Amino acid sequence: MTLEDFKQTIECLGTDPAHWPIDTRVQCEMLLKSSSEARLLLNEQSDLDLLLQKMETPIFPGLETRILNQDLPPRQQSMIDNIIEWLVPNQLGAQLWHPAIAACLPLVFGVLVGNFFSFGVTEQGLALEYWDDELALLSFNDFSSELDEAEF
Amino acid sequence: MTDEELMLAICRGDQSAYQTAVKEHFKPISHYAYRLLGNQKDTEDITQEVFLKLWVNAETWKPEKSKLTTWLHRITHNLCIDYLRKHSRVKTLDNFEEHLIEISEQTNDRGDSFTQRDLCRDSEKNRILDNALHQLPESQRSAIMLCTVQNFSNKEAAVIMDVSVKALESIIARAKRSLKSIVRTMADNGNTDELPEKQKE
Repeated sequence: MTLEDFKQTIECLGTDPAHWPIDTRVQCEMLLKSSSEARLLLNEQSDLDLLLQKMETPIFPGLETRILNQDLPPRQQSMIDNIIEWLVPNQLGAQLWHPAIAACLPLVFGVLVGNFFSFGVTEQGLALEYWDDELALLSFNDFSSELDEAEF
Repeated sequence: MTDEELMLAICRGDQSAYQTAVKEHFKPISHYAYRLLGNQKDTEDITQEVFLKLWVNAETWKPEKSKLTTWLHRITHNLCIDYLRKHSRVKTLDNFEEHLIEISEQTNDRGDSFTQRDLCRDSEKNRILDNALHQLPESQRSAIMLCTVQNFSNKEAAVIMDVSVKALESIIARAKRSLKSIVRTMADNGNTDELPEKQKE
């Protein structure tokens, strides 16, 4: 590793070896042991970083209080949240509403299931089976006596 | 209370959760805004707006994408940059670097480090550093503040500034070189408030 590479590393990644990639760290540590210029660069950069961290921070009198007490607009809920809140209100009536909703759920579920699933049974099939059965039954009846009476 | 619980409470309209979030994040946000904007009045306006956005847009924070502090700093960064652009206070990087090269050529470089000079007391060094920071372009100032002062990792700082990690590392490297050059110039010229006249032209 050259001095320029080392300078680039500490400028990009900082002076804390924990932030250097492992392979780079080994090379940097070797360079630091052998080069006084590298050590000088590291110290200079560390001093600058320390000065930056110790810079006086400004005071904003009253700002935090103003922000804490500022008028906040009402939170706008999404449509789904509104629907859920309408279905499950958090008011006094909730004590009756919740058990009523719970009791109706099986009924609603059964209606939905009945509407969407036929379980292999269709109206057309029923009609066909009905007429087929009707004709079959008619064919077993003896109409000969009726025909004889009609002739006479 | 974790950040997730705090934000869920804010989404439900809990003002005490909002106040907890303000107390926790006020200092780093206001300091970051101040370093970007450079004056107290603008900082106060922007900081107030950041926390208003926290309240209004709480449901847009995704904990799996970033920490709450990263998200707030990103809002701060965007608001500050928009404000600076609106008021035409954005320094272009190209102009800045050209002038920096000119100044470096003019300076009698004594080769010693600014931080090691005995003639500067800590308070004087602070003033020089503070003024030097304000001379940097916004992107470099932001990178220095996030990585060196606020101790964000390079990855988090890249998210805040909406750049790649490689781009951020390049910005930080240039920022540190620029900063050293400016403070050395200021200390050499005995003018701790601004860069030499030629730079203004």
